[in-house]
Amino acid sequence: MPRRSLRLRLLFTFGLGALVLSSLFASLTYVGVQRVLVSDRQHTDLRDSFVNAALIRNTLYTSPPALPSLLYSIEQATSANVLVRTHHQWLSRSRGAVASDVPAGILAKVGAGQAAEQTISVGGHLLFVVGVPIPAVETTVYEIFQLDPLEHTLRTLLELLGVGALATTLMGIGGGLWASRRAVRPLERVSAAAALIAEGELTTRLAVGQADREVQRLTESFNAMVSRLVERMERDARFASDVSHELRSPLTTLTTTASILQQHRSELSPAAQESLDLLTADLSVFRSLVEDLLEIARSDAGATTLVIETVPAVELVRQAVRSAAQRHALSEPQIVVDGELDDVRVSVDRRRFERVVTNLIVNAHQYAGDAVAVRVSRRGDSLVLDVDDAGPGIPEDEREQVFARFFRGHAAHDRSASRGTGLGLALVRDHVTSFQGTITATDSPEGGARFEVVLPVREEGE
Amino acid sequence: MPRILIVEDDDHIRSALRLMFEGEGFDVDDAPSGEVGVALFSRMTADVAIVDVMLPGMSGFETCQALRATSDLPIVIVSARDETADVVLGLESGADDYVTKPFVPEELLARVRAHLRRRPDKHTHAFTLGRLKVVPDEGVVRRDDGTELHLTSTEFRLLTDLASVSGKVLSREDLLERVWGYDYFGDSRLVDVHIRRLRTKIEPDPASPVYLVTVRGAGYKLVL
Repeated sequence: MPRRSLRLRLLFTFGLGALVLSSLFASLTYVGVQRVLVSDRQHTDLRDSFVNAALIRNTLYTSPPALPSLLYSIEQATSANVLVRTHHQWLSRSRGAVASDVPAGILAKVGAGQAAEQTISVGGHLLFVVGVPIPAVETTVYEIFQLDPLEHTLRTLLELLGVGALATTLMGIGGGLWASRRAVRPLERVSAAAALIAEGELTTRLAVGQADREVQRLTESFNAMVSRLVERMERDARFASDVSHELRSPLTTLTTTASILQQHRSELSPAAQESLDLLTADLSVFRSLVEDLLEIARSDAGATTLVIETVPAVELVRQAVRSAAQRHALSEPQIVVDGELDDVRVSVDRRRFERVVTNLIVNAHQYAGDAVAVRVSRRGDSLVLDVDDAGPGIPEDEREQVFARFFRGHAAHDRSASRGTGLGLALVRDHVTSFQGTITATDSPEGGARFEVVLPVREEGE
Repeated sequence: MPRILIVEDDDHIRSALRLMFEGEGFDVDDAPSGEVGVALFSRMTADVAIVDVMLPGMSGFETCQALRATSDLPIVIVSARDETADVVLGLESGADDYVTKPFVPEELLARVRAHLRRRPDKHTHAFTLGRLKVVPDEGVVRRDDGTELHLTSTEFRLLTDLASVSGKVLSREDLLERVWGYDYFGDSRLVDVHIRRLRTKIEPDPASPVYLVTVRGAGYKLVL
């Protein structure tokens, strides 16, 4: 099973990568900035507290009644609430924090004569509490700083980082899209070209242009591969064609001299007569084989020799059937035209079409007695040509194989007397395909085999 | 006895053909090349010629043209190739017929005999095609200035056969049977090429014929 699309996977990987990286970066930034900001602030607040405590101590020494006004001015100058506990009494100008806000831990520590600090959260607000004992005057000073403004800054930072992370993720996806397209496009071009070549467009090559080095290399090796392949195919086709050509001359001499011997048959001994008959029969098989080989080599060599004409189908079939039957001295099968088809035209190479009909009729003769009927009908945009015989039919598992070159099915083994070239039906399929048609083997309604040729119907003027 | 000229470079095939035709009662002249064939023909006129296409030196096509330049004898081309282009080239260089190797000897013999049997049709009345006057019983075509237009015997036969059915359409198969004398289905390219060649001789504009017209899907007819 193929894995999911490479493009999707690239896209997903890029997006996820960007998301993870940007989130990590944002979190680290947030935590770091928060730490620095808070500790800076606490540092400042702590210093302020000690300064304030010193002021309070001095005031308590010199003029205790001035304490409230001092506390007021301190609260004005800083954002702190100041609580003073002197001689077991709470003293505060503050409207915000109260004594109960001071955590017990601080109270205890300060009570023991130590300065203490703690960050607490009260009703969703962050508070920084500093306690400073002033033992000389039996006083303790507590200052409560609001960290809220800092929190606002941090929230803004968090929002900015979030937006940044989202933007980075989107850019990652965009980058993934670009990269995947760039990475996949050459692949798509290669697969499109390969598909064309598979369809027989052997001149297809990848465009060599400005491209990445890797793509350039792929392009070059792909083109080189196709060229080698085509060269190889051409060489094979040429070889078969050359061999057949070379065989033609001696074969011509053989058939001509055998025919002369046949003229003098009566002068020969019975053994010589029998030998001559065997020779003549096999020469005829040999001749068909050479012709078929040559034809198949030509069809392998490409469509260059195709001469396509658009002709009335029924007339074409009639001529081809008559020609095939007469050339091979076979009984002419009945031609059944189903419907008014006089105006129906098909595009074929006449000679190759004749070959198709001839081979089908000869095949029926060799393996199934004879063709009994040739039916012409129209099915939608197609012309259907059925060649039916009254033989044993073709086993289901051989219906595709019969079109393979040199395939010998059951019928061929059972009837050793009939000797085809093994290329007839392969040629038929090659030729029908070259007319953009199809051919299949099925059962005829009468029980024999049916070869069904389907050709596209051409409209007038096409 | 009919005399046949065989131009074939393959010694074995040439000997086999000689044996066959001699056995069938022909006088045989054979030549291994076009040059020798043409020289031989200028001394001993033959009734029919068989010319191989692939010859050393002068090609089969050139040999055909050289023979055609001096005579109307039927020429059958023997070719190892049956591509349409080769067949057309052969016929256009003046051949009347062609067979491909390896041929069935009986078929070649039948074709040669058919060409020899063929006699000009003397029954069709004289008729005119524009500025041309066709006189079948004299076997000539005259322009209106009295000069003769040269047609090969196959071309002449094609023209008079089409005229003899007075404007009716003859299919390619009908024409093959009537003109080439085949009682089996031959190659329709034979007819097409000869029609084209005939058109270049009798039509004012061969590209858009007015006398020798194609009836699509049916065949050809002569408009008188």
